Amino acid sequence: MKTIIMATVIAAAALSACNNTNDNKATDTHNMAEHGNMMDSGMHNMDGKHMTGADHMGMMKNSSMNTVMNAYLQVKNALANDDAKAAATAGNEVATAIINVDVTGFTAEQKKMYNDVKADIKEHGEHIGSNGDKIAHQREHFETMSKDMYDLVKVSGTSQTMYYTHCPMYNNNKGANWLSEVKEIRNPYLGKKMPDCGTIKEELK
Amino acid sequence: MRILKGTGLFLLVAVVVIQFFRPDRNINKGDFPGAISKQLPVPSDVMGLLKNACYDCHSNNTNYTWYVNTQPVAWFLSHHIRKGKRELNFDAFGTYTSRRQLSKLKSIAGSVKDGSMPLSSYTLMHREARLSYKEKDLIIGWALKTKDSLEAAK
Repeated sequence: MKTIIMATVIAAAALSACNNTNDNKATDTHNMAEHGNMMDSGMHNMDGKHMTGADHMGMMKNSSMNTVMNAYLQVKNALANDDAKAAATAGNEVATAIINVDVTGFTAEQKKMYNDVKADIKEHGEHIGSNGDKIAHQREHFETMSKDMYDLVKVSGTSQTMYYTHCPMYNNNKGANWLSEVKEIRNPYLGKKMPDCGTIKEELK
Repeated sequence: MRILKGTGLFLLVAVVVIQFFRPDRNINKGDFPGAISKQLPVPSDVMGLLKNACYDCHSNNTNYTWYVNTQPVAWFLSHHIRKGKRELNFDAFGTYTSRRQLSKLKSIAGSVKDGSMPLSSYTLMHREARLSYKEKDLIIGWALKTKDSLEAAK
């Protein structure tokens, strides 16, 4: 009898342990969000000169949008350095930041575009986040995410000049694009193998 | 000897007890207006392959085999199915934004091509779900062609 009771208790404990894991997950995401914001303020300080441009550009004043862009740029730079782990961390930040965008002050058109890209960007961010050991897979998601980010920035505007850059060689010469905060080419698709492959297609201001 | 007997009995009881904690099954009756076949052209050979190799985890209905009634196998599978459906549910394809549909078609082609799907843990138990090179090409070709035509229509 004692054994039966013991077994039941342990089974119940095991089950509630399962639930606990879920709770922890939720807290992790929460922490991630805070972390994301911290990173954001860090970027502000480091890059204060660029950020002050936000006001007269008029559109992307929204600091929550800057958080998304900064996280995206971190993914981009990590991929250019062939650093899958750093890309994963930043990918998770993109996923958290994109759903926390504050849409107050968005025009109808901006809101529409945001709603259109939100789920997709979040998903790509999560996939980049969960594939810290598969850089090729991260790059596939980064490609689609870059298209989403471009479409979003196109209507939302940007606080700092962005360079939409094209690499003709990636994906069996089908080519791919990305957004960069610098003119200098640092290819996130081919990484250190071919760091300077690419040409600027468009300047977004 | 006595300890052995105790442990054996304990394990037996534990195995019996966990059988009572059954996860919900992924079985849903009904007509799904968002089903991919209602949204996009899916040739019957491709549809057959998708049903056979993907639908257990990526649709509203799983074709359960007997051993999934035992725990903890069922817990493990239920988790997988939930995760699979969240990533891609062919029965809800029409509810995705057009951007996400494109993205999903790209991922279908990509994951079949690199062999990450169907999962090897799944094909181990479901030998019939393994895809030959020809079958893979069929799915990849369909996914990419559909993606291109959706993009062109945009």
